[in-house]
Formats: sequence, C-alpha cells, structure tokens
Amino acid sequence: MFDTNVFIEDTCKNVLKNNQVIGYEMQTHITYYRGIPLSMINYVKVKADGVEVPRENIRFTADHIDWFTLDEMETVALIKWEFGVPATVRVLQDGGLSKGTHDVQLTVCTRTAYIPVPLEGVMTRSVVI
Amino acid sequence: MGNIKSCVSLYSFQNQYMTGKSSLEDLLRFVKEDCGADGVEILPDQMLHGTPNPSEKTYQEWSRLMEKYQLDLACADVFLNTTLYKNRELTKRECIDLIKQEIVMAHRLGFKTIRLVSMVPAWILEPCLEAAVKNDVIMAIEIHAGLGFGVPKTEEFLAEVLRLNSPYVGIVPDAGLFCRKFPRVTSEYCKKVYGTNEELIKYAHSVFESGIDFFELTKSRGFFEIEEAKGKGLRFESGAESRVKDPSKDMFYVANLSAYENKPLSVMDPYIKYIKHFHFKLYEMTKTGEEYSIDYKEILTYLKAHDYNGYVSTEYEGNRWTLPGKPIKEKEQVLLHQQYIKKILNEIQ
Repeated sequence: MFDTNVFIEDTCKNVLKNNQVIGYEMQTHITYYRGIPLSMINYVKVKADGVEVPRENIRFTADHIDWFTLDEMETVALIKWEFGVPATVRVLQDGGLSKGTHDVQLTVCTRTAYIPVPLEGVMTRSVVI
Repeated sequence: MGNIKSCVSLYSFQNQYMTGKSSLEDLLRFVKEDCGADGVEILPDQMLHGTPNPSEKTYQEWSRLMEKYQLDLACADVFLNTTLYKNRELTKRECIDLIKQEIVMAHRLGFKTIRLVSMVPAWILEPCLEAAVKNDVIMAIEIHAGLGFGVPKTEEFLAEVLRLNSPYVGIVPDAGLFCRKFPRVTSEYCKKVYGTNEELIKYAHSVFESGIDFFELTKSRGFFEIEEAKGKGLRFESGAESRVKDPSKDMFYVANLSAYENKPLSVMDPYIKYIKHFHFKLYEMTKTGEEYSIDYKEILTYLKAHDYNGYVSTEYEGNRWTLPGKPIKEKEQVLLHQQYIKKILNEIQ
C-alpha cells in the first residue's frame, strides 16, 4: 500500500559537502494519507544494487531544518512530516554512488492511528549518476 | 422535515494534493464552483500544517479561504495517534489531551463536528465532553465497514454514545457498510496487478449478490481481527480460502473482502438521532451515472424518512484501485457522484 508515494522519480543524487561527495539522497512522500510526527515513522530502509545500507548511515529530514538519525527520530514527537511535503532520505557513504546506473530501493514504513499493521511502501528506481 | 445537504470530503483529492497538481485553494474552488456542494469536509492533518496546533499564519490563510469560498464547514476528520511512540501506547491522559487540542483547533477553524476515526477508544468521550460543549464541537465516531457494527471496540463506543446521550456525541456512518455489490474496481485491480484467480473473484461477487458479506460469513470481528488471526495461522470458513489457488496472487484480495459490508440500513435504526454526518463512499461511478456498489437512493430515502438534516459527504476511494500507470480520475468521479446525489435529493426533498 502507498508504494507509489515512495521515492519521487528523478530525485536521487550524490551529496557534495566541502567538495567531497559524502553520500547520496532521495526524496519521498509519506506512506499514509495524512501528516504525522516523525516518531511515527516505523523505519526507513535503503538498498543500493541489492545491498542493504546500515541503519546508522541513514539520515532523515522532513523540512531541511532538522536532520535525524533513525534512532533519534523515534522520540521526535513535535516535528511533523506533512502530507504533500517530500522528505529527504540521505545515505552517508564516502564517494556516494559511482558514475553509472544503480538500482536504488527505498522502503518507508509508518505507524498509523488505527491500522494495527504499519503501512509499508517500497519503490525501486533505476538511478543514473 | 429534515433538509439533507451535500458535501465533498477533500480526502477524495489526496493524490491531486500530494503531487502538487491542486492546492487546498484549488480544491475548495472545485468543490464550490464545479461541484456546487453545500459543504466541505477536510482532514486537518492532511492539508493544514502543524496540526493540532497550526500557526497563526495557517489560521489566517484558512480564514481567507473560507471568506472567499463560503462553504459550510461540515466536518473535520480527526485521528488519534496512539502509536506516537514505538515503545509504548499513549496513556489515557495523553489521548484525552490530544483530542481536546483537536476540539479547540476545530472550533478555531469553524467546524462544529469532528469525526473520530474508527477504533478510537470509548473512554475518550466523557473526559472530552466539557471541552466539546465549551467549543460547540460535536464528537462523532466513524462507523466503517470491516470495523463497524458488531466489532467490540465500535460496540463499546456505541454503548457510550447511548449512555452519554449528549447532543455533542454521535456517529458518522460510512456507506461502505451498505455495498449491494462488491466493488468491481477492487476485483479488477487485484486481477490485473496480483493475478487473482477468476473463480475467487466470481465467488466474492456472488456472496454480495446473495445479500450477505464476508464480515457476516466469517462471523468474525472484522477486517483487522481476521488479519491478526491469519498471522496466528487461524482460518475462517468464508468460502474464500478454499478458492485460493496461489496465495501470492489471491491473498491480498481475500484480505480485502471483509473491508466491505452488505448490511441492511436498519442497523442504523437505534442510532438515528446520533447520526451527525455521513460518509458517502465512492468507489466507481458507472456510465449510467450511479455508484456501482452502493444504492444511494436507498440510503437517502432512508435518511429523509428519518428526518436526517446533516451533510452527506462524497468520499472517493477509487484512487486506491486505480491501475498502475493510469490517471486517478478523482475530480471527474466526485463531480459525477455529486450530480447523482443532487439528482436524488431533488427527487426526494
């Protein structure tokens, strides 16, 4: 459910900081039909070319003001991921993705207000760097 | 005599909004000018930022829009984030506080009714009643197919509604309870996307044609309980399981069968005076200008006969069953549904 909300097309790119490629990031909509506090994001997973990115290498922002690790995000009850506002998922990885084509898979899972099973959305995109 | 009013829920346009094709203002204009609806329903969490404590700027923008479009504010759909934290459920005190915040926000936005989503616990009502009265906001629980009449948490809530017997407490039935035919868009989607077998689909449709539903057949406690029981390896004798040929193709469909009901309208009889708002679910408008599954003439005639004078609100859900790669035709569908509803209303009132 909500797979098509996940991983907005043409948003995956390497991230440059001080002339160094520190990783890559992509944008995504929420796997729900309403905005929720960040603490209700059950998990975010990234796979690049079939290899799962370690959880501790993922950073998340809903507004480009505050960035969080997934562990930190579990207690973020006052900042919301608004419906219709893409969030950015960043993977910290020296050198980012190499030049060429990669299969990048993003999984976003949210806990909801009344559905006992969290809502997971998965999307794989072929990304050209 | 009652006077039933038309309404559109902006829930219907979630995809338009999410993808940036329509702003909140575009949607309000569409509801007012194209649909000609009397009222509008919103999910504050969906199209307003920072809820339940939006900024003054957000309130000001909302006031500007309301002044411009002059729609009745029929209902605000409220949720309760009991799962706010991963390691625990919210306490009663935290839940009560959240709903009170929603009541205050609804009042400031100009709504007089909030819909509490299905499965909100019954104990929320009494401690929030004072805030509801003070802010002149009615709290009404959603009675949704798969989570409706006969489901313990919903029955508890209904008992509490009767016990409190307050003009500030009520229900919002969802017309998905009254599907006379199984939605074929759901079947078509599962057939094309998952490869669900034809025999199973035919069986599902025949169950509804014979006047019953899977909720009834399983004699269970609803959609989620069936799902949870399946996880524990339990089986239900609805006749659907024995028609599963390939679980990877068929089980998603089976899981959805009890999310639609085929109840007689008389299930609402004991609660008539507590109906504060009504969700008119829309899965698919047919070429002849009717909803494929739900007989709205039957429902509107019933409501009219019982002097209902609230809103009936189009809630489009065919978006979930639009085939991948096909455009979601929510505006077109909502417009047709509104024309259909108004035609019936003109006939009966």
